[in-house]
Amino acid sequence: MDPVRYVDLLNQRYKAQGFPPYQWTENEPGALTPLTKPLGECRVSMLTSGGVSHCSMPVWDAEARNDFRLDEVDPSAAAPDFTVNDSYYDTSDAASDVNTVFPIDRLRELDAEGFIGSIAPRLWSGFMGRIYKRSHVTNVAAPALAEELHDDDVDLFLLVPA
Amino acid sequence: MCPPRSLFVNYPMGNPFGPPNMADVQRDLLRTALQTVEQITVPGQIVDYDGEWPRDFADKVTASLLNM
Repeated sequence: MDPVRYVDLLNQRYKAQGFPPYQWTENEPGALTPLTKPLGECRVSMLTSGGVSHCSMPVWDAEARNDFRLDEVDPSAAAPDFTVNDSYYDTSDAASDVNTVFPIDRLRELDAEGFIGSIAPRLWSGFMGRIYKRSHVTNVAAPALAEELHDDDVDLFLLVPA
Repeated sequence: MCPPRSLFVNYPMGNPFGPPNMADVQRDLLRTALQTVEQITVPGQIVDYDGEWPRDFADKVTASLLNM
């Protein structure tokens, strides 16, 4: 199946509903920092934006807008202990196996076999739902998360959109 | 957003790491995603994942779009 042109489809959908053209954000690429060590020596962290919550935390608001809550996730947490709440995509597969949007078991396996050096002490769940406050993401929320990653000596950060 | 390195996975929304309970597929995707760090040299470059969803997923696309 050919790739889905989601932006084109959404533009058509919004136009059909009588809305003016949506002002899409066009971001410049983030800085590319070359690795200074082999992948097998890198500490890896990961974030899902798929509305994934551990059972020790409240579930996410499936209709969330501008929700800047950010959950720390214990990398040893068991996969069945997560819940998925997000109305903006079909969560049925993620609900039956959270690894489809947050491959925590797979990350542990790659760590065990030495494909990566280690898993960071914290994984993350956040930036889910609809976020319209672009400047807050750029100027506040993302830099704050970057500081946390720096504190954990993270070499690689994997962003997993839903 | 435009991260410095991306892996494009032509799977339905909600399945960036493939079908549920298919550890081999999920593991291959994760390995491939992490390896882009060693492959990509141009900021913003996107690598295509060489995997096919087993069937047409237009129904999932429609369901997702209705909620947007």
